[in-house]
Amino acid sequence: MELDFAAWADLFARSFSLWWAILPGIALGLAVGVLPGFSPQNTLIILLPVTLAMDTEAALAFMISLYCANHLSGGIPAILVNIPGSGGAAATCIDGYQMTKKGQAQQALVLSFVASVAGGLITSVAVLALLPFLSQLGLVLRSVEMVVIILFGLTLIAVLAAKDMLKGLIGGMFGLMLGAVGTDAVYSTPRATFGFLELYDGMPLVPVLIGLFAVSEALVMLEERFSGKPAAQSRAAQWADTLDGLRMCVVHWWQITWTAFLGLLVGVIPGAGAYIASFVAYQQSRLFSKTPELYGTGHPPGVIAPESANNGVTSGTLVPTMAIGIPGGSTAAVMMIVLQYQGITVGPRLFQDSPNIAYGVFVMMTVAYLLMIPMILPLARYASRVVTVPVHIIVPLILGLTVVGAFADREYVFDMVLALVFGIIGYVAVKSGYHVTSILIGVLLGPIFERYLLRALRIGQGDVMVLFSSPIANVLWAMLVVSIALPLWRERRLARRAAA
Amino acid sequence: MMSGKDRIGRRAALGLFGAAAVAGGAVAQSGFPARNFRVVIPTGQGGGADRLARSFDDGWSKLLNGRQFEYEFFPGASGQVGYELFVQRRDADAHNLLFGNMGPEMIMYALQRPRFRFPEDITYFCRIDVDDSCVFVRADSPFRRIEDVVAEAKRRTLNVATSRIPHPASIGILALGDATQARFNLVPYGGGNPTLVAVLNREADIGVLPIALAVQQGERMRTLGVFNRENILAAKTDNAPSINAVFGTSIPDLYSSRAWAIHTRAIDRYPDRYRVLEQTAPRVFDDAAFRDAYEKAGLPIETIKYGDRAACTEYALGMIELANRYRAQLSAAR
Repeated sequence: MELDFAAWADLFARSFSLWWAILPGIALGLAVGVLPGFSPQNTLIILLPVTLAMDTEAALAFMISLYCANHLSGGIPAILVNIPGSGGAAATCIDGYQMTKKGQAQQALVLSFVASVAGGLITSVAVLALLPFLSQLGLVLRSVEMVVIILFGLTLIAVLAAKDMLKGLIGGMFGLMLGAVGTDAVYSTPRATFGFLELYDGMPLVPVLIGLFAVSEALVMLEERFSGKPAAQSRAAQWADTLDGLRMCVVHWWQITWTAFLGLLVGVIPGAGAYIASFVAYQQSRLFSKTPELYGTGHPPGVIAPESANNGVTSGTLVPTMAIGIPGGSTAAVMMIVLQYQGITVGPRLFQDSPNIAYGVFVMMTVAYLLMIPMILPLARYASRVVTVPVHIIVPLILGLTVVGAFADREYVFDMVLALVFGIIGYVAVKSGYHVTSILIGVLLGPIFERYLLRALRIGQGDVMVLFSSPIANVLWAMLVVSIALPLWRERRLARRAAA
Repeated sequence: MMSGKDRIGRRAALGLFGAAAVAGGAVAQSGFPARNFRVVIPTGQGGGADRLARSFDDGWSKLLNGRQFEYEFFPGASGQVGYELFVQRRDADAHNLLFGNMGPEMIMYALQRPRFRFPEDITYFCRIDVDDSCVFVRADSPFRRIEDVVAEAKRRTLNVATSRIPHPASIGILALGDATQARFNLVPYGGGNPTLVAVLNREADIGVLPIALAVQQGERMRTLGVFNRENILAAKTDNAPSINAVFGTSIPDLYSSRAWAIHTRAIDRYPDRYRVLEQTAPRVFDDAAFRDAYEKAGLPIETIKYGDRAACTEYALGMIELANRYRAQLSAAR
């Protein structure tokens, strides 16, 4: 169903009139996203009685704002204290925290905020324009294509390992091994769980994330304080730094745009998560950069790429939900409950029966991102002050909040212990020159990769050539080979020039 | 499958009415429930069990001092995590309940041999629905009838999308293959929604799922046959036939059934509390609000079918027996 200009104007006007639901949604989403362990779907489930009691459009506006803001704020702790608020923000740590160490915390936050908001805005508007095409895209990308897409993310292990290939690959393989813990994807038979019920679901993401990043970082901070090493550079927050961050965003506008679209494409695929998008975006951003060697040292595009992609996912996830009635992720599944409770059946007919809801969802998302701008830019200035908090205050705070976060996700004491164990693993890794992100990539992407690979092989009835049976997959394979070969060729060329 | 036993007749209704009056008194006398209920759901948030439990609990809450139901989701290992956690780590005080899908979860129980015993540790006492397993395809699939599927599967192995390998629908298609010498390759997608996508995007040739999910898809999917002696959703599935009737096979009735469960120890320790639950739950089926909420959740009301403790136990034990019969095909252990 096509909408005329007046109908679009009406949708935007109605969405803006729901500001009273959008603003609390944004505030709550920002608060929850900062804390590892508190996911948007858990928050929405807790708030279900509230949203079910609300008017449909207001409930949707509230849920969408919370969801989008949650994706945005996961980058805040990643930048300030090297602790990603969610798996989708893990790639932000690589350059975000390095910027903080260089005294550019405020710029990094502005980069993250603007990339997130712009990425979300661009993709929500794009969805409104390309909805019929995008709704079909999720049906074109199947298990075989997903295998290759996830491999793009996994090759980031090799990229991170570039400085010390052996250690990098050991870290990545260790992560992949951990990712294999849990029940197998075909017969649901437990593997390597050592009888721990808590590991049947696989290695839980939140305690691993918290341990590898937060606890290990707290231990490093403590060590630096007692050994008298200088802490991360910090200086008084200034509006000039906010403006500097905005300038960087303008310079890298193209980077924001294409990584947002990458996030949108990944989000459209049901079941594909934000962390696939953010790692693939980081890897691709580095690949096409003229200065790939700067990645990992506090390079602004290293913050922009994962953050923009992470928020591009938000609109993509809702495409299969609204267009084919199949939720693209767990947050979308909870939103579907609310819609169904209100008597609204999602799916193709929704666009004829209730266009105000079908298109309205994406209009609300656009409005939510617009309203986020005045809320978050001042936040960059004040949030960046976290780095000025003395170590003897920030370390207990980090440890307390994150260990609670480890418990909150599944309410297992086991997860708190696991976070501490991974904290020690992370600390040892950091001190001995291993990249904790390599381990995390293995834990995050390993199980999804295995699931899609096994599915593809079963579809091929054991024939490995099934992986090369689709034209789209073959194009993706070619791109993957190029993305691996190009940096190697580039490095060799540089080495030859240097030798000459 | 719908038998006289399943229908609530006049005498049963009078009995229920009487029991309800007693239960009302019991609620008032015992002071039970004293707090909100904590419910373990061994599948994911937003899934079928979640929606169904929520559509039921409003009506039930009214009969239980207005106490609310608080849900926790433990979807791991085909439900094993939720069940083990419920049995081992939740107090057996009748304030802790489980809402599960008896079919697939009893198959899991038979195949994985988890650390709890049925029915010694857990008792289902209120079945909500009977959702027949079915074979379905895309609306534009070349397979127009179930006979076309079997004929093609005799020529080449067909890929079958399923939610889990340990599932009644998976057993159904394997049994059909056994009976007709057709070859089916099961591909598990880990949930109803991904299974539907796999059929929609043509990754799999056909799909097998509980029929309510296929019907929810409307005109995009076509149901070709049901693993039951009668298709209660015939009007919504273009009269899809019973597979047994088409091929003269004797595949058992295979369906998913969601039910409320309690610790068996809680029944022994607090018989008065259990009586309140057992007697109030059937009354929810008379509540128009429940049927309305059920329909709003996108579920066909024809599938609503109350079953008491005896019916649930009989069904669950039947599923365990069936899973043991197909153990070789359903589990990794050969």
